[in-house]
Amino acid sequence: MDAAASTGARRLLRIFYALLLLFLYAPILILAVFSFNDGDPSFPLQGFTTQWYGKFFASPLLLEALRRSVIVATASSVIALILGVLAAFALIRRRFVGKPAASALFFSPLVIPYLVFGISLLLLFTLVDKILKQTAGVYIGLGLHAVVIGHVVVTLPYVILVIMPLLERLNISLEEAAHDLGAGTWQTFRRVTLPLLMPALFSAFLIAFTLSFDEFAIASFLVGTEPTWPVYLFAQLRVPSQLPQLIAVSSVILFASLFVVLLAEIIRRMVERRYGAEYATRGLA
Amino acid sequence: MDSADDARRWRRRDRASTAGLLSGPLLWLLLFFLAPVIYVAVYSVGGIKIFPNDTGVLSLGDWKHFLVGGSVYMGLFWKSIRIALTVSVIVVILAYPVGYFLALCAKKRKYVLLLLIIAPFLTSYLLRVLAWEVILGDSGVVNAFLSAVHLRSPDHPVTWLLNSQFSVILVLAYVWVPFVALPIFVSLDNLDGSLLEAASDLGASRLRTFLRITLPLSLPGVIAAFVFVFVPTIGEFVTPLLVGGPRGYMYGNAIADQFTKSTDWQTGSVLAMFLLLVVAALMVLFGRYVRVRSVAA
Repeated sequence: MDAAASTGARRLLRIFYALLLLFLYAPILILAVFSFNDGDPSFPLQGFTTQWYGKFFASPLLLEALRRSVIVATASSVIALILGVLAAFALIRRRFVGKPAASALFFSPLVIPYLVFGISLLLLFTLVDKILKQTAGVYIGLGLHAVVIGHVVVTLPYVILVIMPLLERLNISLEEAAHDLGAGTWQTFRRVTLPLLMPALFSAFLIAFTLSFDEFAIASFLVGTEPTWPVYLFAQLRVPSQLPQLIAVSSVILFASLFVVLLAEIIRRMVERRYGAEYATRGLA
Repeated sequence: MDSADDARRWRRRDRASTAGLLSGPLLWLLLFFLAPVIYVAVYSVGGIKIFPNDTGVLSLGDWKHFLVGGSVYMGLFWKSIRIALTVSVIVVILAYPVGYFLALCAKKRKYVLLLLIIAPFLTSYLLRVLAWEVILGDSGVVNAFLSAVHLRSPDHPVTWLLNSQFSVILVLAYVWVPFVALPIFVSLDNLDGSLLEAASDLGASRLRTFLRITLPLSLPGVIAAFVFVFVPTIGEFVTPLLVGGPRGYMYGNAIADQFTKSTDWQTGSVLAMFLLLVVAALMVLFGRYVRVRSVAA
């Protein structure tokens, strides 16, 4: 007998799961349907069109916003990845005074309200600019650099969280062997540690990139006159005539990101299988 | 060179490299995370002057006015707490059966089925909210359906679907469910299956097994899930801005408006700091249940 659930309960749970999937995916599918609708996003449907997709490629402001988001997401996830690897190494491989405090600091961006953090950075930039103007007559101003700075802070804990478990399981004797065979510290890291960490780095980069690309709350306070994609999208949502076109772009991005996430998971599994069960991470990125 | 010398040299090298590893990430967080937050705290008590109309003198006046002056913001704060509680309870109730199903019934395909639940979380937040605008609006999907089946005339749509507390709660629950499924799944998946078998061998019914073993053992995951929804939802401002209307206005909106619409940054800082203190207190209270690793297991 199965102690977890009777056959009937199991059937009910399966139905519940299916209903929840429907709840999660129906709105996304409805958006996709309206992106091909020749008219306002409401029923009854007016007819099939791909004009919204065509208009998407013809809007320079929109493309510019997308480009900015790609730049911000790439820059912030690369920086977060480098800092995250360093922090994860320190937390797993080293003993030092104040480790609990350091780890609390690394993970606290997970729970800070993004609204409060965005405002804090806005105030900081305002103050720094005020001081710079008074003393040197120059100023930094808001913009993509400010967004990158904020995004690194909030993606860093996720990067550390993804890298730490793999680093913990990594067999240190492999690195010692490389060392004994005459490899230097850097060579050992580059030729042994780094390749073994690759699956985690890949997941971490992807998570950081998606988070940053989609982040609105912090960015909305820091973009200045250079709106990233979510900030641009938000501003345009106020203009009803823009809605069909935005839905079209959105569907493209939505399905592209779903595709990337699934692809990444498949690749990660393939890589893990190659490196053997010893490094298999349980669960999902 | 004797071995003691050697060991000392190694230790020193080790310490230097530890500092090297830590300095980058620590410096980044000190400069761009801790410093700005401390700065807001100082600004909220008038310790720094940015704008001409800032008081520039140390005073707890703004704090006092907010905490005991019967200000409108306090009411908004409690409204946000109510909304956040409702959302967290709904989300946990929706996610628990799914986590249970995946961890204890689904066997081989469980990771694929779990990924299906989580995947929407990795797509655009704004778009998922936008989708509900299209569904719940006056001429949206729900109202179109109601008028098509003649339950409602198209001239009198159900208006409380959008721009209400209902829409804020529904959309926030929708946004959070995928996120919460993970910690609940992890706590159930780590459950020692032999405990369930032992209980059933000893004659416990499935309900009793669930109430006495499964539920208590999965409670840390449930609490973690609850906290991970509750805490960010108190300070939520984007969803109410899009689907809340005036009736869905939350504490977070009041904070954001101080910085965008009005220019009373000092009051805004008081509100923001208060939110941060509440979050910090909650984390101290529930922190031991929240193993951060369950987020990215």
